[in-house]
Amino acid sequence: MALLAVVHAAFLLALLSFRTYQSEVLSEPLPLTPESLEVSINSTQQCLYLQWRVHNLTNHQELKMVFQIEISRIETSNVIWVENYSTPVTWNQVLHWSWESKLPLECVTHFVRIRSRVDDASIPELRSWSNWSSWEEVDAQKSLGQDPLVVFPINKLVEEGSNVTICYVSRSPESNISCAMEGVPIHGERLSPNVFAFILNNVRFIRETGTNIYCVSPSNMSGTILFVSKVLEEPKDFSCETQDLKSLNCTWDPGHDTTLQYQPSQRYTLFESFSGKTKLCEHKKWCHWQVAPDSQETYNLTLIAENQLRRRSVSIFFNLTHRVHPMKPFNVFLKNISATNATMTWKVHPVGNYSTLLCQVALHGEGKVIQHNVSVKVKGQYFLSELEPVTEYVTRVRCAASNHFWKWSEWTGQTFTTLEAAPSVAPDVWRNVKTVLGSHIVTLFWRPLSKSHAHGKILFYNVVIENLDNPSSVKLLSIPAPANGTELTLDQCSYQIHVTANNSVGTSPASIIVISRDPGNKNVEEGRIQGTEDGFSLSWKPQSGDVIGYVVDWSPQDPRCQLQWKNLGPNTTSTVIRSDAFRPGIRYNFRIYEISTERIAYLLERKTGYSQELAPSENPQVAVSNLTSHSFTLSWKDYSTDSQPGFIQGYHVYLKPKVEQCHPGFEKVALSDDSVCCQYKIDNPEQKTFVVENLQPESFYEFLVTPYTSVGEGPHDTFTKVTIPDEYSHVLMRIILPMSFCLVLLMVLCYLTSQWMKDKCYPDIPDPYKSSVLSLIKYKENHHPTIMNVNDCVPDAIEVVNKLEGSRIQFLGARKSLTEMEFTKPAYLYLLPTENYSGPGPCICFENFTYNQAASDSGSCGHVPVPLKTPPSQLALLTSPENLLKSLEQNYVNSSGESPAGENSLNYVSQLASPMSGDKESLPTNPPGPALCSEYRTQMAVSLGHASPSPSENSSLSLVTLLDQGEHRR
Amino acid sequence: MRAQLPRRVLLSLVLRLLFLKPVVTGSCSGDDQELLRQLQHQVDFMKDSSRLLDPYMHIQGLDVPGLKEHCQERPGVFPRENALHELSRRGFLQTLNAKLGHVLHRLTILQQNLPKVQDFGTVKRYIYGIRNNIYCLAQLLPGSSETAEPTQAGTEDSPPPPPASDTFQSKLQGCQFLRGYHRFMHSVGRVFHKWRESPSRSRSRRHSPHRALRKGAHRMQPSMRGKRLMPRGQLSQ
Repeated sequence: MALLAVVHAAFLLALLSFRTYQSEVLSEPLPLTPESLEVSINSTQQCLYLQWRVHNLTNHQELKMVFQIEISRIETSNVIWVENYSTPVTWNQVLHWSWESKLPLECVTHFVRIRSRVDDASIPELRSWSNWSSWEEVDAQKSLGQDPLVVFPINKLVEEGSNVTICYVSRSPESNISCAMEGVPIHGERLSPNVFAFILNNVRFIRETGTNIYCVSPSNMSGTILFVSKVLEEPKDFSCETQDLKSLNCTWDPGHDTTLQYQPSQRYTLFESFSGKTKLCEHKKWCHWQVAPDSQETYNLTLIAENQLRRRSVSIFFNLTHRVHPMKPFNVFLKNISATNATMTWKVHPVGNYSTLLCQVALHGEGKVIQHNVSVKVKGQYFLSELEPVTEYVTRVRCAASNHFWKWSEWTGQTFTTLEAAPSVAPDVWRNVKTVLGSHIVTLFWRPLSKSHAHGKILFYNVVIENLDNPSSVKLLSIPAPANGTELTLDQCSYQIHVTANNSVGTSPASIIVISRDPGNKNVEEGRIQGTEDGFSLSWKPQSGDVIGYVVDWSPQDPRCQLQWKNLGPNTTSTVIRSDAFRPGIRYNFRIYEISTERIAYLLERKTGYSQELAPSENPQVAVSNLTSHSFTLSWKDYSTDSQPGFIQGYHVYLKPKVEQCHPGFEKVALSDDSVCCQYKIDNPEQKTFVVENLQPESFYEFLVTPYTSVGEGPHDTFTKVTIPDEYSHVLMRIILPMSFCLVLLMVLCYLTSQWMKDKCYPDIPDPYKSSVLSLIKYKENHHPTIMNVNDCVPDAIEVVNKLEGSRIQFLGARKSLTEMEFTKPAYLYLLPTENYSGPGPCICFENFTYNQAASDSGSCGHVPVPLKTPPSQLALLTSPENLLKSLEQNYVNSSGESPAGENSLNYVSQLASPMSGDKESLPTNPPGPALCSEYRTQMAVSLGHASPSPSENSSLSLVTLLDQGEHRR
Repeated sequence: MRAQLPRRVLLSLVLRLLFLKPVVTGSCSGDDQELLRQLQHQVDFMKDSSRLLDPYMHIQGLDVPGLKEHCQERPGVFPRENALHELSRRGFLQTLNAKLGHVLHRLTILQQNLPKVQDFGTVKRYIYGIRNNIYCLAQLLPGSSETAEPTQAGTEDSPPPPPASDTFQSKLQGCQFLRGYHRFMHSVGRVFHKWRESPSRSRSRRHSPHRALRKGAHRMQPSMRGKRLMPRGQLSQ
C-alpha cells in the first residue's frame, strides 16, 4: 500500500513537471521565418523566381502560412510590388513563387524580401508577421556583356493588342539616343541616368519576322525584335465523321495562323475523354483518329489548340454511327442503252455492318434534272426510262447512311448518249406557186426538224409528187440535207406532194400539200398594214367553213430573202406575226391562205407594211426639161415608191427664189440650215412630174424634190441650179444657128469648087530652078567656081518626086518635134551603086526637099538602113568629090568636131540641107527665097561616140539627136 | 601547307574514284574564253542586289530609314577588290571558290529561317554553276609558275560569325553579309573582266591540259548536287 502511494506520488510529480515544461514551450513559440531565399531570373519570360524554406517546423507538421513578398526597383525603398502568398507548408518544404515583370528585368536592379506568418486559427500565437528577410538584389545587367548600348527585352513574344515595355541601357550617360519602332520614333521616360523605358501600347502584327525596335546613338546602334503573334483563335466548325467506321476524320477551321519566325507554330491535339487517349495532330486543319476495335460507339472529342501564349479548346460529343459519310460510289456503268432507255449500275463501299445506304440517282439532260432514290447494300441499279433519242445525258449517283443521315457522299457520274430513232413529226412544209407559160413553178420550203423531233441527223428529204389526175404517175425526189426546199415544175394537173424527213433509222410522217389546177393566186387587192414593236397584227375573214387551218406567209420586198410562214388552226382568224428578223424600213408582204380539207391553199388576203417606217434616205434623180423663160418641168419618173423605207405619201418640191415671195401654190418654209425656201407639196405619190411656172426670165433658181413618208421627208441635200433664159434666146437658138450652119456649109462648097476649078484649069507647073541643088552649086561658085558633075555622085539612077514648095517651110517649122514624129516616107534622090554591088547594103541618098512631100513630116532620111561600119568603097564614094566633102566639113564640123580622131566605129547619118546664106537662126521663121528652093541632103561619117548612145539603137533616132545638136550650134 | 600536299592529292584521287569525276571526264569546256564569259555573266547576275539583299531586307523589315543605313558590309568577311587583283589567277579562283562555299553555307541557314524566300534557292543553284566553272577554268590555268599558291586574300577572311541569340543582330548580320556578298561579286566581276581583256596567260594552257589538271585542278572540285568535294583547308584561308 505504501509502495502504491509512492508510485502514485512519483507519477503526479512527473506529470506536473511535464505539464510545467509543456506550458513553458507553448507560451514561447519559435518564429517560422522564411529562410534560404534565392532569387533567379528567367529573361525569356521576364520572371523572377523565388524559392525559400521555413525552418523550425516539426516533422509531419503542416501549417497554413502566408508569405508577404516585397519587390523594389532601383532601390529598396522604391517598392513596386507587395503580394501575400498563402500556401500550406510542411517540414523541409522548398517553396516557390514567381513574378512577371512588365519592365524587362535587365533594365534596372530589383530587390526582393519576404516575411511570413501562420494562417492557422489553432495556433494564434504565431499569426503575427515574422521579421523580413534581408533584401535580395537582382541585377541582370551584371550577367550581360559590356555592350555600350543594349535594348531589352530580347526577342519578346507577345500577342497582338498587348502593351509592351522596353528599355535601353547605355553604358555611358549619352543623351543623344533616339529609338524607333519600324522607322517611327518612340518616346519614353528616363528610369535612371543610363536607362530609358518605352511603353508600347496595343502592338499590332506586322510580319512573321517580327517588329523591329532599335535605338541609335551617335556611336552605336542596338535593337530588338518584338514578335507580335496574332491571337490564337478557338477552332471553328470542329467536326468528326467516318467513312468506314474504322477511323474518324476530324476537321476544323483554325482561324488566324499565329506562326512566327523563330517561334514554335501553333499545334493541335485531340483528346477523347472516354478512352483518355490523346493524339497530336500533324496538320492545322484536320486530323485522323483511329477508332478503337472494341466498338466504342460514343465519343467525346476535345480539340485543343495552343501556342506559347494561349490555349483554346472545343469539344464535340457524338455517336459514331451517326457520323457516317460514305465514300463516293464506284464502278458506275450504263448498259442496254437504247433510244429511250438505259440501265445504270454502281457499287458502294461497305460501311462495316452498317451496310444499307440510301443512294440518289440524278439524271441531267435537255436542261432538266431528274432525281430518284434507291436503297443499296453493295450493288445499285436503276432503270432510266423516257429518255430522248440522240441525247447526251449525265447520270450521277451519291449515297448516304439511310438510318442516320449525316452527309451525302461525293457524286460519281457517267455520260452517255441515247441511240437514234425515226423522226417523230412531219416536216413543216409550205409552198409558193407561180404560173409561168402554163406551168406551175412550185417552190417547196420546209423547216428543219428540231432536235427533239429529228431523233438523229436528218440525212435527206423525200418528196413524192403524185398526180391526182393520173394516179399512176408518181415521182420521187430525194433531196439531201441540209437543203430546206426545192423547186418543182408541174403542168396544169393537180398534184399531191408528200414530204418526209429521213435519218439513219427511219422516216418521219409525211407532210402533204396539194397543188390544184388553179393555184389560187387570184387577184386579191393588197392592203396596207402597220407593224408595231410586237410585230404585225393580221386578221382575216374566213371564206369557207370547211378548212383545216390557215397559213400566213411573208417575205421582205427583197426577192433574195426567203419566204417565212406560220401555221394556224382552223378556228383562228387573227394572229400576230413576230420575228426577230423584222427590220425598220423594210417592207414586208404578207399573204393569208386558208387550207381546205383537200389540203389546197386558197389565198384570202394580201397585206404589206413596215414594222417601222423610216424617212426616205435618198431623193429621186430629177430631170429638168421644157426650160423656157418662164417655166421648166421637173420629172422623176424612174423613182420607185415600192423600194423605199416607208410608204411614200407624196413629194415636197423646194424652190429657192431670188425674191422673197413664193410663187402661187408654194409655201414659205424654213429649212434646217435656217434658210428660207418655198415648198410645194405633192400629195400623190404617183405624180412624178411638176411644172414650175411663173418664173422670171434671165434669173437663177435652185430646186429640190424630196419624197416624204409618215415619218418624214428625204434629206435636204444638194439643190439643183437652173438658169432661166431670157425671152429671145430661144428665138436666137431657133433661127440664127441654122442660118449660121447653112452659111458655113455654103462657104465650104464654094471653096471646094474653086479648088477643083483651079486644079482642072490652072494646074501648077514644077520649077526646076527652085531646086536646092542649084543653090548649093551657087553657093560653091562663090568660093571655088565649079560645076557639079553628076558622075561624081556615081549614081546610075535618079528618082525625082514631085513636091509642093510650101513643104519646106512646114518642115522647118516642125523641127522642134522631130523626136516625137513618126517617120513617113520621104522623097529622096537615091544614088544607087552601079557595079560590084549586089547585096542589100547601104545606099546614099540625096534628099530633095523641094519635091519631097514627106519631108515636112519626117525631116530626115534616117530610116534608111545604115550599117555601123561602112565599107571602104562606100566611104570613098562619099569622099571622092573633094569639093563637096569640103563643103560638108564646113557645114558639119561642129557636129563632128567633138568626136576624137581614130574612132573605129562610124555611123552614117543624113544631114539636113545647109542653109543658103545669111542668118541661120532665121531659117525656121524666114523661109528661103524663091531662087534657093533646091538642096541635097547627103550622108556623112560621124563617130559613134556622138552618133548614138549605143550601136544597137535605131539609127534614125541617132540621126535626129545629132541633128538637134548641130542646130543648136549654129 | 606543303606537308599537306600528298594528303590532298590522295584525297582528290579517292574522291575522283568515288564520284567518277563527271566534270573531268568531259563536261568541262576547253575554251577558257568561253568559261570566262560564262563566269562573267554569272557574276554579273550575282552582283545585283535585287537577287538577294533587297528581298531579304524587305522581308525582315530592314528597308526602313534608320535601319538600312546600318546594313553595311562588315570588313573582313569578303576580300577587297584590290586584294583580289593582287592574287594570282589560281589563288583568285581558290579564294572565290572558298568564299562561295561560305556563302552557300550561310544561304542554307537563311533559307531555313526564311523558307518563303525563293531567291535563296535560285542563288544557290547559280553558285553551284559558278563553282563548276571555276573548277573547269582552274584546269586550264598554266601550272608551271602558279601552282598551289596560298590565298593571300584569305588572311583577311574570317569564318562567318555564329548566329547571334539576339535575333535583331542576326537580321543585321545577314543583311551585312548579303551586302558584302554582292559587293564581292562585283569585285570578282571586275577581275574576270580584266582577265578577259588580257587572256594571253590562260590561253597558253590549252596546249597542256593534263599537266594543269595534275597540278591545279585537284584543289577545286565542282559542286555536285550541292556537295563540296573540295578539301576545305586548302581553299578557305
